[in-house]
Amino acid sequence: MKRIKPNNKQINQNSPYVSTLTRRESLKWLGVLSASALLPSFTVFSELQKTQSDASSVVKGHWPKLKLSPISAKGYGTDPAMVIPKSPWPRTLTTEQIMLVAVLADILVPRDGYVPSASQVKVPDVIDEWVSAPYEKQQRDRFTILSALRWIDDESKLRSSNIFVALSTKQQFEIIDDIAYEKADTPKQFRQISHAFSAFRRLVLAAFFCSPEGTKDIGYIGNIPINGDYPGPTDKAMLHLHQVLDDLGLSL
Amino acid sequence: MKNFDYEVIVVGSGAGGAMAAYTLTKAGHKVLLLEAGRDYDPKTETPMFQTKGQAPLMGASTKDKDFGFYDATVDGGWTVPNEPYTTGENTEFLWWRARMLGGRTNHWGRFALRFSEHDFKAKSRDGLGADWPFDYPDIAPWYDKTETLVGVCGTNTGLDDMPDSSIGVLQPPPKPRVTELLISAAAKKLGIATAPMHRAVLTRPKDGRQACFYATNCGKGCSVGAAFQTTTSLLPMAKATGNLKIITDAMVRSVDVDDSGKVNAVTYIDKNTGKDIKLAAKVVILAASACETARLLLNSKSKHHPDGLANSSGHVGRNLMDSTGASLGAHIPALEGRPIYNEDGHTANHLFIPWWGHKQHAKGELDFPRGYHFEISSGFKEPSSSLNGNFQGYGKQLKAEAKKHFGARITLALRGEMLPNEHSYMEIDDKVKDKWGIPVVKFHWQWSEHELKQIAHGLKTAKVILETMGASFSQPLPSPEKAILKGGQIIHEVGSTRMGACAKDSVTNQYGQTWDCPNLFIMDAGVFASNPHKNCTLTIMTLAMRNSTWLAGQLDSSTNPIKAWES
Ligand SMILES: Cc1cc2nc3c(=O)[nH]c(=O)nc-3n(C[C@H](O)[C@H](O)[C@H](O)COP(=O)(O)OP(=O)(O)OC[C@H]3O[C@@H](n4cnc5c(N)ncnc54)[C@H](O)[C@@H]3O)c2cc1C
Repeated sequence: MKRIKPNNKQINQNSPYVSTLTRRESLKWLGVLSASALLPSFTVFSELQKTQSDASSVVKGHWPKLKLSPISAKGYGTDPAMVIPKSPWPRTLTTEQIMLVAVLADILVPRDGYVPSASQVKVPDVIDEWVSAPYEKQQRDRFTILSALRWIDDESKLRSSNIFVALSTKQQFEIIDDIAYEKADTPKQFRQISHAFSAFRRLVLAAFFCSPEGTKDIGYIGNIPINGDYPGPTDKAMLHLHQVLDDLGLSL
Repeated sequence: MKNFDYEVIVVGSGAGGAMAAYTLTKAGHKVLLLEAGRDYDPKTETPMFQTKGQAPLMGASTKDKDFGFYDATVDGGWTVPNEPYTTGENTEFLWWRARMLGGRTNHWGRFALRFSEHDFKAKSRDGLGADWPFDYPDIAPWYDKTETLVGVCGTNTGLDDMPDSSIGVLQPPPKPRVTELLISAAAKKLGIATAPMHRAVLTRPKDGRQACFYATNCGKGCSVGAAFQTTTSLLPMAKATGNLKIITDAMVRSVDVDDSGKVNAVTYIDKNTGKDIKLAAKVVILAASACETARLLLNSKSKHHPDGLANSSGHVGRNLMDSTGASLGAHIPALEGRPIYNEDGHTANHLFIPWWGHKQHAKGELDFPRGYHFEISSGFKEPSSSLNGNFQGYGKQLKAEAKKHFGARITLALRGEMLPNEHSYMEIDDKVKDKWGIPVVKFHWQWSEHELKQIAHGLKTAKVILETMGASFSQPLPSPEKAILKGGQIIHEVGSTRMGACAKDSVTNQYGQTWDCPNLFIMDAGVFASNPHKNCTLTIMTLAMRNSTWLAGQLDSSTNPIKAWES
């Protein structure tokens, strides 16, 4: 079992992602997790076996066949109150899915010195809001992302008989290293998942940079009122521009 | 309207309608303004400093909010709930509407460029389309007055496609950003000039409106009134005269005539009760936007006007034009990791690339008529749901890659002049009605080779400019047919009730007065005789000011020629 430094707040079974969860739900989650660690999610595994005939399917590749009922909730409408922004639709990710999203999001955007990780700035909430939204693009993304989440757990079970969040860090990264690159020579069995994982990665990154801490991290310093005229580029920015112009053989 | 003895009914409170109402009420005439949308107050409703991160879906666009959660459009966008429009075979057309006080001025881009001498008499030069029934010098003083009232920042450049404003009219423009200076240098190498964009954004306070504080996108609306919208300027100022009454949620169904065919009333649906209300009218000004106005006329049929009101020429709905649009963007490696500073500015172009091809046209060097300009999209922008870059991997290296792309992308967006053609028009679809029972608009659309050749030229030029900045392209340029945006997509639809010098081939005279009904005026972009690439709204407002001043003169004159026509 992985050891956790107490102040590192890494998301795992001992320290679940809680920002959206009530206390009751997080207790429930701990229950689910310990049960699943003992009895590796048989339902999923047997479903998988139905569609895949033998163990070599790991090599040949697998893809979950999700049957998702369409989201029928209402959107925010054509005249929402914008001053206090709200998304009215109910969230649909299960506690297990949220946990998996949190762990994956933190692999994509880990804590970095003083800069918090994705789950610390509530990226999983944003993902849940996104995949639960009653709009076309988001519903397409929901299918892609839920399929990816299921694939990752299926793969974890095939490789190590446990769901992804219960794997050791080493086991987790072995899977992630297989699916985190969409390249010309990506092995066939990882093509579909690495494409789906890319969509998830973009969303996690966007959600991270949209948080106040992420916005600061990328370096956006606008959205503040300026008294008087717009000051324009700083001296440092102009110095850099002149260097660029010189390099390109251009002049103002 | 009990207790309010109005002389003029104005339909629509956007750029044209609000300017007409302002001008007439200032001249002492009582105006009743009917607006289909709801009342709207930017002072309390604008999400000024709210971040995308606070918005649902990081502010991403959805079918409820086509331009993102914070876009100030109310009950509109590419679709309006229960108010459809249809398209003919092989037609793709997009029609942006807003159902709110102030119409689309609440969220327009505020690019406010004058048309030039060239633009008003283009047919005389190349034989295509139609000339306007006046010359640039006739409208120049009205541009001055409009720019002063609206508040436009920019400079006089002396460039042949950008007529100067009189001294003291323009407010100072903001300093250009690094990306814009780089574009400027690259364009200069190619012999193409850049110029400060003219924008209807105050950089100096005016009439109780604050100067821009260089934050929060103008598309959200502007609670401090710096970015021009009629709801913080013309409408409250007109109201202050005591001469204006506004009825919102009033969807005009028809303009009505008496037994002799003279306009004498307007019928609207009170959207709160669903009931029709008929108001007597001495003078009616339609400014419901080009296509809504044409729709109203075509739906106002009577014995005397069997093809629709003011349509004896058969030109109502024809000559429909939009601007052409296409864009090309690239990652500029030299901008990776450049020093951070606040690039919000007034949140749109500080510099742009005006049309530079007049001399080439004169020498016959171009294979397309008319011009275009480039708007620029660049800068350290507020993070949103979409990111620049094609990402791989995870962890520190992933974040480093994202940061590398921050502020390093430049996109040039072409906006060009389209010529009218017989395949691009609107009519009434008599099989489909909206929720108010009003027959809807059916659009027909085709680009001609003029527009496609222009787009091809623009894409090539954009590519060279971007390459001069060090961009590289792995893909060939798209074909112009692929690259050109859909009809209506640039949201500069004009021409559907064009003005002209004679009643045979136009709907109104140069004052927007319909040839058929002297007490019926049109003061939106329907009256445009051509659609120069320089975004239409400044000219809508300028014409509305000029033409309602002329109308006020008629109403004031002892002989009142308009009254003489009344029944
Ligand atoms: C996102 C965006 C960006 C833009 N950027 C620019 C730009 O940078 N520069 C530029 O020049 N232009 C720009 N435009 C275009 C500009 O908004 C329009 O040209 C301008 O608002 C048109 O003015 P209008 O008065 O004709 O119509 P509108 O502003 O559309 O106003 C018409 C009003 O009439 C009302 N109405 C319609 N039908 C009826 C009826 N039957 N009864 C009663 N009321 C009715 C509508 O509800 C509306 O309020 C942009 C538009 C959009 C949407």
